[in-house]
Amino acid sequence: MYTQTKIMKDNTTILTIVTYGIILSAVSLLLNDIRAFDFLQFEEFQDWAKTAQKNEPWFTSKNAVKWSFYAISAGIFFWRAYLLYAFTYFLSILREIEKGNYFSAKNSRYFKKIANIFIYYTINVLVLRFLLALIKKSSFNFIQEFKSEFTLLIPCALAFYILAELFERAKKAEEENELTI
Amino acid sequence: MPIIVNLDVMLATRKMKSKELAEIIGITTANLSILKSGKAKAIRFSTLEAICKALDCQPSDILAYTDKQKTPNK
Repeated sequence: MYTQTKIMKDNTTILTIVTYGIILSAVSLLLNDIRAFDFLQFEEFQDWAKTAQKNEPWFTSKNAVKWSFYAISAGIFFWRAYLLYAFTYFLSILREIEKGNYFSAKNSRYFKKIANIFIYYTINVLVLRFLLALIKKSSFNFIQEFKSEFTLLIPCALAFYILAELFERAKKAEEENELTI
Repeated sequence: MPIIVNLDVMLATRKMKSKELAEIIGITTANLSILKSGKAKAIRFSTLEAICKALDCQPSDILAYTDKQKTPNK
């Protein structure tokens, strides 16, 4: 029993370090992408109000299209950051396991939260990519988009929902077992 | 729960203390208290057997069924 607990603790520690590594590298990648995107381009947009043709419909003007492109790109960055936030829940789950609370209500809740974030991310990024394709006037192949890696998050999210349910049931079983005299 | 535990009554009849019974049947006083207060979800046959042996009684002397809903003592 003691050895099992020790092995579990060691595994949790290793997994925590790996998760920290993944989060840090993903954050640095995101920051690098944001820097490469050059948000200074937004400053040009600020002059738009001064230079815009008043009689031209705003949604067809070049500036509006350009601004929409920037806004959608910013949206994609936001969702990427939100996805990273989901990974911090893994750390919380590992912390709970380290404490010995394997089937706590918190763990079940965290799994559900991760699943929710995965689904929100996939749907929103798909919509934003569609809008981006619309602005760029390039063809948006829905099937092709679904083949891309990030849509794999949906089956992952479903798996996390199942895990959350399993943890909830295990918690109930554990409680019942504790109250069996 | 409609099942009530009359362990208190049996202990009083046999003039035995909870701690004593817990020691005889080999469970902790905390678990015996859970059983007495009606918070327990289930009871093992082995525990029931040990209690019956220690108190020299039948399971029906300890457990009873009632129609009335009784909330466990807090």
